[in-house]
Amino acid sequence: MSYFIQQVLNALGWGSVIALLAAGYTMTFGIIGLVNFAYGEVFMVGAFAAYFALTVFNLPFWAGILAGIIGALVIGLAIERIAFKPVRGSGMITLFITSLGASIIVKNLTIMLFDDSLKNFKVPKFFSGVYLLGDIIIFKKSIIIFLVTIILGIMLVYLVKNTKLGIAMRGISYDSKISETLGVNTERTIIITFVIASLLGGIAGTLWGMLFGSVKGSMGAIPVVDAFIASVIGGVGNVFGAMVSGYILAIGTGIFIAYLPQELVGLKPLFVWVVFFIILIFKPSGLFRANIK
Amino acid sequence: MKLEKKIVEKYILTIGLFFLTFYLLEKLLTGFWLTLFLLFGINVILAISLNIINGWIGFFSIGHGGIMLVGAYVAAFLTIPTSFKQGVINLHLPAFILNTQLPFLPALLIGSIFGVITGIILVLPAIRLKGFYFCAGTLGFNIIMATLAENLPKITNGPMGLRHLPSYTNIWWVWGMAVFLAYITLMVKKSYIGRAFISIGKDPCLAEHMGINLLKYKIYAFGLSAFFTSIGAILWIHLILNLFPTAFDLTFVFSVVTMIVIGGMGSISGSIIGAAIVTLFAEILAPIEEGFNFFGFQVPQALGLTTILLGVLLIVVLIKKPEGIMGEREISLNFLKGKKIS
Repeated sequence: MSYFIQQVLNALGWGSVIALLAAGYTMTFGIIGLVNFAYGEVFMVGAFAAYFALTVFNLPFWAGILAGIIGALVIGLAIERIAFKPVRGSGMITLFITSLGASIIVKNLTIMLFDDSLKNFKVPKFFSGVYLLGDIIIFKKSIIIFLVTIILGIMLVYLVKNTKLGIAMRGISYDSKISETLGVNTERTIIITFVIASLLGGIAGTLWGMLFGSVKGSMGAIPVVDAFIASVIGGVGNVFGAMVSGYILAIGTGIFIAYLPQELVGLKPLFVWVVFFIILIFKPSGLFRANIK
Repeated sequence: MKLEKKIVEKYILTIGLFFLTFYLLEKLLTGFWLTLFLLFGINVILAISLNIINGWIGFFSIGHGGIMLVGAYVAAFLTIPTSFKQGVINLHLPAFILNTQLPFLPALLIGSIFGVITGIILVLPAIRLKGFYFCAGTLGFNIIMATLAENLPKITNGPMGLRHLPSYTNIWWVWGMAVFLAYITLMVKKSYIGRAFISIGKDPCLAEHMGINLLKYKIYAFGLSAFFTSIGAILWIHLILNLFPTAFDLTFVFSVVTMIVIGGMGSISGSIIGAAIVTLFAEILAPIEEGFNFFGFQVPQALGLTTILLGVLLIVVLIKKPEGIMGEREISLNFLKGKKIS
């Protein structure tokens, strides 16, 4: 039993990263029907900016987080301006292909410039340390990351549910033309959504660096897929559902790996896809209520 | 039945012309240019077969990498010399595979049949999922196949890959297949089956109301596409002579997608043009990736530059000319004369 609880606790840190990404994903997905495959690269650039601030320039901790957020914001808005805005409205598939192209461009550019090796991320002192609870080990960093994620999640849910901005977002995701006639500034709302999503990506990237102590150029590939699946399972446009599904997926993957024979551990990526197919075939609307039609 | 003499003459003339061209090219081309020409042919095969799904049926598949992996692995088991298969300790294959080495044609056919079976598995998501969700599902299919290939070392030799494949690919195989495929698809496009495919792509509901059995034609389309995709993949591995689980990853599929987007979705001649552009683009830029000396100024090595520029090309085409070079038209004599055809 304690082995099981240990696996769940181990998955919390990873789950938080996935939950943050899934929340960002589901917002852009809901609002303009964009499956932002380049979101993994926003996440990666955020982590790299934090890495440069913390390890290379030796800045304090808060400057690292700030650098991560700014890096993610710049790349997220640049991708939106260059790759998504000109083809907006020409269908999901076109948007998906351009996002795939943008993702491959940014990823290969990063690998070309800084090669694809693991880079040591300087983790602040107060992140290290463990608590012992019987024979269960709890890492301090996963608790901090979990708390940060929960606070951000509550703020996001409040923003989408109760503020004027959130109502505008939901209106656009329902029908952008009608909400525009009713006085919603569509363009501004879309930009703000992208800003929020990139911000979440930057924070998630920084937290990833803190969690695993290293970053690399191709790190965005797996989290982005997991986050996408979490956002589909959670019901498109539903921030709460996406975050909960992110945790469910991460904990499920952790348990799946823990009970698999040693030589089959590499089959880890299969789990999320099996869940994805099962959910899409039996309950296409997702586990939670979708915010859009 | 009265044979129309003129048409028979035309066929003989065309086939003779192709034979002559390939014969001359085989004599003339060597080294780099031969490889380039073979790559071009393989890309034509891959692009046309992907176009059957993405252009005609209207399902955007990026999971053809999985089909390619299955076909390529099956064919590789059959053509690799027995000494290599028995030399690898980890490989636990049935004895009859370990002890046989087939010639190219049977291996090609068996590999493609396995590819077709895999392709028909892809129909399962196509029944339930629509539009983007199908796209994501096929991406998952691709990742699942690559993960399986990497993590079942007893069957696939894992990330070590299979090596020592015999070099079977030559102009005759590649371009024979490419011309055959282009001919078949052009004929299919004019026939009832092809019109059914295209109508499914335009409006599945309406197609169903017109009496087209959606499932049946989806299976036909995926089968046809998977057959030629696996042939392309098998030719590819017998050109580069090794096979790793990451051989047909997302980047590879992405370059094929780029070809059909540039050329025009749903157009056979467009696919050929797209394949030509992408192949030339990739092979001409390859020396730049290695880094070179430009008038005393050392340009550093830039790995991945080709992929980056392909991505840029794809985005520019999608923004400026979303229907691609050819749209849905085909090059024909009428088209060359400037007449407008529907």
